Amino acid sequence: MLGHSNKEEKRDEQFSEKVATKIWRETPSPENSYLTQEAHCHGYDLIALMQKRSFVDVLYLLHRGELPSKNEAELLEKLMIALINPGPRHPATRAAMNAGVGKTDTQHILPIALSIYGGEHIGAAVIEPAMRFIRKNRRKAAQEVADALLSSAKPAEEGDWHIAPGFGSRYNGIDPMPAQFAQKLLSLAGAGDALRWGDEFAQALAPNGMGWLNTGIAAAVFTDLGFSPRAGAGLFQTFAAPGLLAHAVELSGKPITAMPFPKDEDYVIEYQK
Amino acid sequence: MSSNIKSNDTSIWDHNRGVIRSNIGGWIIGEAVYNHGYSMMDDFVGKLSYMQVIMLNATGRIPSRKFADWVEATHICMSWPDPRIWCNQIGALGGSNRTSVLAATTAGLLANDSRQYGTKPLIAGVNFIKLAMEQYESGSTVEDVIDNECAKHAGKPYLMGYARPIAKGDARIPAMERVQEELDIEVGVHQKLGYDISERLEQKFGENMNFNGYLSAVFSDHSYTAEEVYRLYTVLVFSGVTACYVDTIQKPAETFLSLRCDDIDYQGKLPRPLPED
Repeated sequence: MLGHSNKEEKRDEQFSEKVATKIWRETPSPENSYLTQEAHCHGYDLIALMQKRSFVDVLYLLHRGELPSKNEAELLEKLMIALINPGPRHPATRAAMNAGVGKTDTQHILPIALSIYGGEHIGAAVIEPAMRFIRKNRRKAAQEVADALLSSAKPAEEGDWHIAPGFGSRYNGIDPMPAQFAQKLLSLAGAGDALRWGDEFAQALAPNGMGWLNTGIAAAVFTDLGFSPRAGAGLFQTFAAPGLLAHAVELSGKPITAMPFPKDEDYVIEYQK
Repeated sequence: MSSNIKSNDTSIWDHNRGVIRSNIGGWIIGEAVYNHGYSMMDDFVGKLSYMQVIMLNATGRIPSRKFADWVEATHICMSWPDPRIWCNQIGALGGSNRTSVLAATTAGLLANDSRQYGTKPLIAGVNFIKLAMEQYESGSTVEDVIDNECAKHAGKPYLMGYARPIAKGDARIPAMERVQEELDIEVGVHQKLGYDISERLEQKFGENMNFNGYLSAVFSDHSYTAEEVYRLYTVLVFSGVTACYVDTIQKPAETFLSLRCDDIDYQGKLPRPLPED
């Protein structure tokens, strides 16, 4: 059918002989070149980091290549606490609970829960676009950006309106928790321009029933800390993992009846041909 | 400013508290498992192919048996037991690290949510051929369609569904054309346009249609949307991933493409003293 040849021919693409990294150096053991005698993260010995630095410091080092200042480390750690648990009603936590009560092999709990946490509604998929949105707009007046969006964008007929990635309504209201996170984080010495701009933007949206979402908070702090937008989703997932796991483990020792299984009268088939 | 403010109106969530409302079906214990109005045990088992049911579950429509057979054959084209392919390599690494076959295969499948290869680019592929058809029906020539697309990419022939990495040409297309002919599935207008685009690209840039372009055109001829194609191809590559897992799980751990410390090209900072806190 295709008029010309489909004969496959190799392209002369040049692939790397080795994987290159600037992050991690493994020095081989003298006896066995597959074993690591020493490991360095961006030049710092891992054993020394264990002795002298916090987990937050090393997390920052991995992504930024340098150790954080005290203010940066404090900002990151406070954000991690804020995001440590999406809560028992979040779809990702409910997925974790389902895996737990369903006796799914425990090593699969986090991949399951974090996959759901990767969604575009209060999920990790929002972080990169939110970081790019903040980066693009933070030199503009927040009120003007809000006004432009409010006049051009249309809300969904049903459900929440996320007028910009990381900002919008939750259950048709302004979510008070991220607003409180923002105030606490803004009070820290490490708070930066992105967080301040985001707060002004959230305030500009408030008369329209919208404000900060957790995703916006994370995106603003990641921007202020200089993280790559491509790291945003994974960092957001990393920070929620402890809470997701805890909820799954709590249910994993309980019988399958420990979670609701809606009765037939509460299962409504609304299919129409 | 929008006037459509429904601040703290939670009626839509209240309506769904404690109740599952399904638009697809469900299990009524002792009666039937309903699926889009059909009883699965009575109407499907032994009467529909598995692929017909997969396509119903993904799109809400039951395709003809012959079209489902064609779709099934396309999965064979994406089930290579070659661990150099990115998603397949994840399966091989899973075997090498002794994960479960489910975890390794699921991980490989997830890698297909990629801008570069596998299932997700079919969205762009279907959208491209449908846009091309709109332009063509509005009077543009095939040349114009190509030029319009190239203009978006600094003149380069980056048309979704045409050209591919690693190799030029695509042996999967003649294989599926043979299946298409045997199943008596007609070549439709999108497929014809796709071939015309391919021929012109070949003349102009030495590139031609790839498997994405072929699939996108045929699905468009059968009135599937880009999102429907993406949904029904959820597990398009799973079998190749599993095959690569099975190969490495049967060999000693970490022997798949073994790496010594010096097989990594470290290009970062040299060892340095840790500053005092």
